[in-house]
Amino acid sequence: MTNEDKKIIPAASVNPEEMDKNGLGRRGFFRWITVGWIAFSAATGGFFTLIIRFLFPNVLFEPPQTFKAGFPNDYASNTVDTRYKKKFNVWMVRDEGSIFALSTVCTHLGCTPNWLGTENKFKCPCHGSGFRMTGINFEGPAPRPLERFKISIATDGKILVDKTKSFKWEKGEWEQSESFLKV
Amino acid sequence: MLQTFKDIIDILSVPTISFTFLTVAFPFIFPPSDWFEKVHRKLGIWRLWTKPGFYGGMIAITGFFVIGYFDPNFHITLTKADNFPIVLMVYSMFITIWWSMYQAYENDARLEKGLKPMEYNDPDDKVLVWPDLVYIEFIALILFMVFLIVWSILVAAPLEEPANPASTPNPSKAPWYFLGLQEMLVYFDPWIAGIVFPMFIIIGMMAIPYMDVNKKGDGYYSFKERRIGMFIFMYGWLVLWLFLIVIGTFFRGPNWNFFGPFEFWDPHKVVPLNNVNLSEYVWVKLLGQGMPANILLRESIGFLALVGYMGFLPILLAKTWLKNYFQEIGPVRYTFLMMFGLSMLALPIKMYMRWLFNLKYIIAIPEWFFNI
Amino acid sequence: MEKNKNKKSFLERMGESQVWKSIIRSGVPRSRRQRMQAVLGSVFLHLHPARLPKHAVKVGYTWCMGGLSFFLFVVLTITGILLMFYYRPTVEYAYTDIIDMAEQVPLGIMRELHRWGAHAMVLTVWLHMLRVFMTGSYKPPREFNWGVGVLLMTLTMFLSFTGYLLPWDQLAIWAITVGTNMARAHPFIGHEGPGASLLAIGDINLVHAGSDVRFALLGGRFVGEASLLRFYVLHCIGVPFIVMILMAVHFWRIRKDGGISGPL
Ligand code: HEM
Ligand code: FES
Repeated sequence: MTNEDKKIIPAASVNPEEMDKNGLGRRGFFRWITVGWIAFSAATGGFFTLIIRFLFPNVLFEPPQTFKAGFPNDYASNTVDTRYKKKFNVWMVRDEGSIFALSTVCTHLGCTPNWLGTENKFKCPCHGSGFRMTGINFEGPAPRPLERFKISIATDGKILVDKTKSFKWEKGEWEQSESFLKV
Repeated sequence: MLQTFKDIIDILSVPTISFTFLTVAFPFIFPPSDWFEKVHRKLGIWRLWTKPGFYGGMIAITGFFVIGYFDPNFHITLTKADNFPIVLMVYSMFITIWWSMYQAYENDARLEKGLKPMEYNDPDDKVLVWPDLVYIEFIALILFMVFLIVWSILVAAPLEEPANPASTPNPSKAPWYFLGLQEMLVYFDPWIAGIVFPMFIIIGMMAIPYMDVNKKGDGYYSFKERRIGMFIFMYGWLVLWLFLIVIGTFFRGPNWNFFGPFEFWDPHKVVPLNNVNLSEYVWVKLLGQGMPANILLRESIGFLALVGYMGFLPILLAKTWLKNYFQEIGPVRYTFLMMFGLSMLALPIKMYMRWLFNLKYIIAIPEWFFNI
Repeated sequence: MEKNKNKKSFLERMGESQVWKSIIRSGVPRSRRQRMQAVLGSVFLHLHPARLPKHAVKVGYTWCMGGLSFFLFVVLTITGILLMFYYRPTVEYAYTDIIDMAEQVPLGIMRELHRWGAHAMVLTVWLHMLRVFMTGSYKPPREFNWGVGVLLMTLTMFLSFTGYLLPWDQLAIWAITVGTNMARAHPFIGHEGPGASLLAIGDINLVHAGSDVRFALLGGRFVGEASLLRFYVLHCIGVPFIVMILMAVHFWRIRKDGGISGPL
C-alpha cells in the first residue's frame, strides 16, 4: 500500500482483520459497544426510576384514619347510621347480631352511594350499582361488595373504627373477628 | 297529540330499542355490500344524502330540540350550560357527515362514468397561498372568534356547589366527551371499559391506515370504493361513540337509570337490575349444583367462550367467509384487524347479553379483580 | 398630470420604507413573485407552501377544522395564562378564586372563553378527524401523521379533562374521582387491577393504594390537595408541552407528506 492509497481509503472501510493488529478490532469493537449500551441503559433506567420515584412522596398529609363512633347502644337494630359518612366516609350498620363499619366508597369507581331507607339498599348515583344493607352488591356494575373497616371497643367503652385495615368479603375476611362487633 | 308523540319518543329512545334500531338500520344507511346497496336504493334511503335529505334531517333535529325546549322535563337537561356543546355536536356531526356523503355520492357517480373526482384540478393550475388561503384562514378565524365571544357572553360557565367528598351528585356525569366511556362502564368492568378499551380505541385508530389496504379514495370524498372500511368506522364512530354520548347526556338520570327525554327524572324510579354471572347461570341454574370451589374450574366456561370468540372465531372466519380477504391482507394485518374489530363488536354483544339475560360477567373472578 | 403619474400610493411608499423592508423583505406583496416570497419569508406563513392545488383552499374540502383546532389551542393558551394570574390551585382557594374571577375582574368572560373554547376544541378536533377519514387522507403516505393526530386528539381530551378538576366544585371532584379510579383498575400497576396481586414479595404487596398509578396521578390515596396541584401542573404545563411538540411534528409532516391530500 502506498502512502497515497492510505490517504484515500477511509478508516472505516478498511478490512477489520487488518485493523486488528494496530487498532480496534471486531472483538474489541463488540466489547466496547456492549459496555456502551449497558452504561446507556443504566443511565436511562436510573433516570426513569428517579422520575417515577419522585411521584411517590415519603410523607403523606392525609386526614386521621381512626375515629370513635359512640357507644354500641347508640345504634338500633337493623339500621344504617349515616352520621359518620360526611367526615369519615363510613356508615355504621347494625343488623341482627352485629355492628360493622361499612366503607362509603363504591367498589365500582369510587362514588359515594346513597342509603335509600325505603328501598332498603345503597344506590350509587354514578353507574347505578346497588348494595344491600350488609354491603353485598346485587345490581349494577359494582364487581364486589363494599369493604368493612376494622372495628373494636376502646377502653372507654366507645366504638373505635380503624380505616387503615379493611376487610373484603370476596376474600372471606368478613368472618374475621375484627371486622364486626357482636352485640 | 303532542303528548302521545312525546310518549312515543320516550319509548323509542330506550336504549334497547333505539340502539337496536340504529344497528339494524345502519347497513342500509351506509351500505357495505351490493345487496344492502340495492335495498338502500329501493327504499329510497339514499335520499338522505341529497339536498331534501339534508333539510329533512335538519328539521327533524331542530324539531326535537324545539319541542324539548318547551318540555318542562327535557328543558332542564337541554339548557344545562355544559350540555350546549352536545347540541353543537349533534348539528355539526349531521352537517359534516351529510356533506361528506353528498360529495361522495357525486364523486361516485363521476367515477362510474370514468371522470375524475370533483376535487381534481390540473396540477399546474395552482393558487397562491397569499392571498387565497391566508384570507380564508383569516375570515374563518374572525368568524369563529366572534362566535366564541358571543357564546361566552350569553352562557355563563357552570360552577356547581363546592366540592363535597361525602355526597355524590345524583346523577354524576363525566364531561360530555367521555360519556361514551361512562356508558361502557355500565356493561364492563373498569379495567376493561376504563383501560383496555380506551387503549384499544387509541391504538386501533392509529392502526387504521395500516389495516386498510384499500388504496382508493385517497384525497377526495367517496363512498362506494371504500364502503366496507367506511361502514366499520362509521358504526364505531356514530353508534358506539356519538350515540352513546347522546344517551349518556340526555337519557341517563338519577341513579344512572334510563329516562326518556321527556320523562320526569324521578330519583325513586325503581328498575330491578339483578345481574347474574355466566358461571352462576351454568352451574347453578343449568346444572343445578353448587359453584365449584376451584376458581378456574368455576369460570372455565367463560374462558372457553372468550378463547372461542377472540381466538377460534378469527381462524374459522379466515378459513371460510373471509378466506379471500385473509389471503389479500396477510396474517399480521388480519390478526390485528380481528383483535380490534372483535373487541369493538364485544361492546354491543355485551350490551345485548345484559339486556336479554341480565348477564353480568362472562368471567367473574373478583378475587383477582379479573372480571370480563 | 405628470405629477400624478409619478405619485406613489401610500401603500407603495410604505412598502419602500426602511422599516417595512426590514420586516417583509419582498415589499408589499403585489406581484406573483412578491406574494410567494411573502409566504416563504415569514416564519409563521411558511408553514404553508407558496402555492396550493385549487381544492386545498376550499372550505368544502378541509372544513378549516385543523386550522381552527390550532387557533383554538392558541386562544386557550392566551386565556389560560390570564386565568393563572388569579387562580390558586389549593383546596382552600380554588373555588372562591373562580367565583372572584367572574365577579371581581373587569370583563369577566375570560373563564367562559377558556371553558367554551376547550369544549369547542374537542369538537373541532373530532370534526377534523372525521374530515380526514372521509377524504381518505390517512392513506399512504400520511399514515404516520394520522397516528400523530390520534395522539393529539387523545391529549386534547386529556387537557380538557385535567382542566375540569380545577374549579374544585362537585362536578369537578366526582368526574376526577371516577376518572382516576379507572387507573386503580389498571392491570398490574393499579392496585385493584388484574395481576396486581401477583406482584408481591412473600406477603408484602408491591402494588397497593399507596404505590399504584392512581397514586402517581393523584399524589395521594384520595382526591385532595396534592391531586389538585398535580392536575394543575399537568393542565398548564405538562400536557400543553407535549401537545406543542406533537403539533410541530404534525404540521411538518403535512408538508413532508406532499401537502394537503388530493386526487391524483
Ligand atoms: C390538536 C389537534 C390537531 C390540530 C391542531 C391539527 C391541525 C391540522 C392542520 C392545520 C391540518 C391541515 C389541513 C386541515 O386543516 O384539514 C391537518 C391535517 C391533517 N391532520 Fe390534523 N390536527 C389535529 C388533530 C388531528 C387528528 C385528531 C387527526 C386524525 C386522527 C389528524 C390527522 C391529520 C391528517 C392525516 C392530516 C393530513 C390531511 C390531508 O393531507 O388532507 N389531525 N391537521
Ligand atoms: S362508581 Fe358506583 S356505580 Fe360506578
